Amino acid sequence: MLPVLGLTILFSIVPLVLVIQRSLYRGNVFGTNLTFAGLGNYTDVFRTGGGHSLIVTAVFTAGFVAVTMLLGFGIALLLDVRLPGLAQVRAFFVIPLVVPPVATAFIWYTFFQPGTGLFNRVLSGAGLPQVTLSNPTDAMIAVIAFGAWQYFGEIVLIYLAALKALPRDVLEAAAVDGAGAWQRLRHIRWPLLRHQTALLLVIATLFGLQSFTQIYVLTDGGPQGATQTALYYVYQEAFGLGAGGSTGLADAMSVILFAISLVVTITQLTLVSRSARAAA
Amino acid sequence: MTGMRLWARITVYALVAVAVLIVAFPLLWMLAAALKTQSEIIDPNASLLPLHPQWGNIVTAWSTAPFGTFFANTAIFSVVTTVGQIATGMLAGYAFAMFDFPGKRTAFYLVMSGLMIPFTVVIVPVVQLLADVGWINSWPGLLVPNLASALGCFLFRQFFLSAPLELGEAARIDGASEWRIFWSVYRPLAQPMTAAFTVIAFLQNWNNFLFPLVVTNSEHLMMISQGLTVFQGQITGIAYNLLMAGSLIAVVPVLIVAMIAQRKVVEGLAIGAIR
Repeated sequence: MLPVLGLTILFSIVPLVLVIQRSLYRGNVFGTNLTFAGLGNYTDVFRTGGGHSLIVTAVFTAGFVAVTMLLGFGIALLLDVRLPGLAQVRAFFVIPLVVPPVATAFIWYTFFQPGTGLFNRVLSGAGLPQVTLSNPTDAMIAVIAFGAWQYFGEIVLIYLAALKALPRDVLEAAAVDGAGAWQRLRHIRWPLLRHQTALLLVIATLFGLQSFTQIYVLTDGGPQGATQTALYYVYQEAFGLGAGGSTGLADAMSVILFAISLVVTITQLTLVSRSARAAA
Repeated sequence: MTGMRLWARITVYALVAVAVLIVAFPLLWMLAAALKTQSEIIDPNASLLPLHPQWGNIVTAWSTAPFGTFFANTAIFSVVTTVGQIATGMLAGYAFAMFDFPGKRTAFYLVMSGLMIPFTVVIVPVVQLLADVGWINSWPGLLVPNLASALGCFLFRQFFLSAPLELGEAARIDGASEWRIFWSVYRPLAQPMTAAFTVIAFLQNWNNFLFPLVVTNSEHLMMISQGLTVFQGQITGIAYNLLMAGSLIAVVPVLIVAMIAQRKVVEGLAIGAIR
C-alpha cells in the first residue's frame, strides 16, 4: 500500500499543490527567480488567447462527445439485435482503441492531403470543394472526427454490455402488448440505460478534455489557434514554445482545466447517484 | 425479435457492414498507401489499390528510423510499468480491503483523489520535479512516475472486498503467514481481474504518448509513438507512402496481440471505463 500512496502523493497530489501555488508566481521553467504575481497569470491567460482556447475546448469536447455517444449508442443497438454473426463482430470495434493513436492519427492526416488524400479524392469525385487542415473549420472537424473514430468503440462496448443486461422479460412483454421497436427504445430501454448514459457522458467528456495526440499530429493547435484546446495551450506554453513559453501561464491554465474536470466529474456523478436513488 | 422480417434483417446487416467499414477504412487505406509507388501516391487519379505493391517501402521505412530501438524501449517501458502497477495496485487494494490500520481512511481518500487528478493537469510540475532530481531523459524518469495506478488500487480493493473472508481465516488457523495467505489464497482468486487489468494497463502504457514526449527527447530512449513523429520529420516530400509504411509497422504488432487476446481486451476495456 505504501508504494501506491507514496507515488500518488508524489506524482499527483504534490504536483497539484505545486501547480496551484506556482500559478500565482511568474518565473521560468525551472522554477527559479519566482516573483509573486497574485492572479496576474490568470488575467494574462485571458489576454494571450486562453479564453479562445477554452472556447475551442468547449466546441471540441461537445462535438467529440456528441459524435462518439451517437455513433456508439447506435452501433451498440445494432449489435444487440439477436441475429447470427453479430456477437462475433463486437471485438472488431476495439481496434481503434488499442492501436497506437499516433499511427492512426497519421492515417487521418493523409486523408486531408490536397488532391491525393482519401477525403479530397471522394469530394472531388462528387464535385465538391476540397477540405484542408489549414482551414480552421475543416481542422476542427478533422480532430473531432478522428477523436470520435478512435474512441467510439469504448462507448459501443459499455452500452452493449448494459443492453445485454436489460431484463428480457420486460422487453418481450412490451412487444407482446404491441409496443413497436421505437416505443420499446424510447420508453423502456433508454430510461433503463440512464445510469450508463450519465457515466459514459462523464468518461467521454473527461477523455475529450484530455485529448492531445489528435491535435499534436493533425493540426499542432492550428491553423491560427483554431484547434488549440486548453490542454494544448498548457503543452505549448510549458514545452512547445521553448523560451517563448511561460510556465506561469501553463500552470494557471492547468488549474482552470482541473477546475473544469472536477466540476464535470462531480456534477455528473451527482446526477448518477440521484438517478440511481430515483430508480431504487 | 427472433421473428424479424427479411427486410429488417437485411437492413441490420447492411448497417453493421457500414459500422465495420467505419472502423476498417482507415486501416485499409493505410495498407494500400503503404504499398504504393511514389508516383501513385502523388497522382490524384491513381487507383485506390496499389497496382504494383511495393513491399520494399516497409523495409525503407524500417531503416530510415531506429524502429528496433523504439520497439525495444516501448517493450521495456510497458512491461516494467505494467508489472509495477499490478504489484503495487494489488498489494494496496488487498491492504485496504482486508486490514484495519490507523489512518486507513485518510490514506484511501488520498489515493482516490489521485483518480480525480488527471495526469494532464499536473504535467508541468511533474516534469519540473523530475528535472529537479535530474531524471529528464532517463529511465528512472520514464518509469518511476508510472509504477503505481490509483485505478488499479481501486479495482483490486473492490475485488478483494467481495472475496470470501473464510478462506483466509481457515488458512490462518492452519498456521499460514499473512504473506502466504495473500500469495496462495487471494492472489490466485484475483486471476481474472488481474488478467483484464494487465491487458488495459499494458495497452495504455504501450500507447502512452504525452508522458514520454515531455520527459525525453533523446532518440535512444524514444518509444514507438514518439519515434513515429521523429520518423515523419525525417521523410520529406508530399508522398506519404513511407509515412503509412511507418504507421503500419507500429499498428500491426498491436493488432496481432489484440486479436489473440480479444476476449481479455474487451473485458479489460469494460472495467477500465471507470478510469
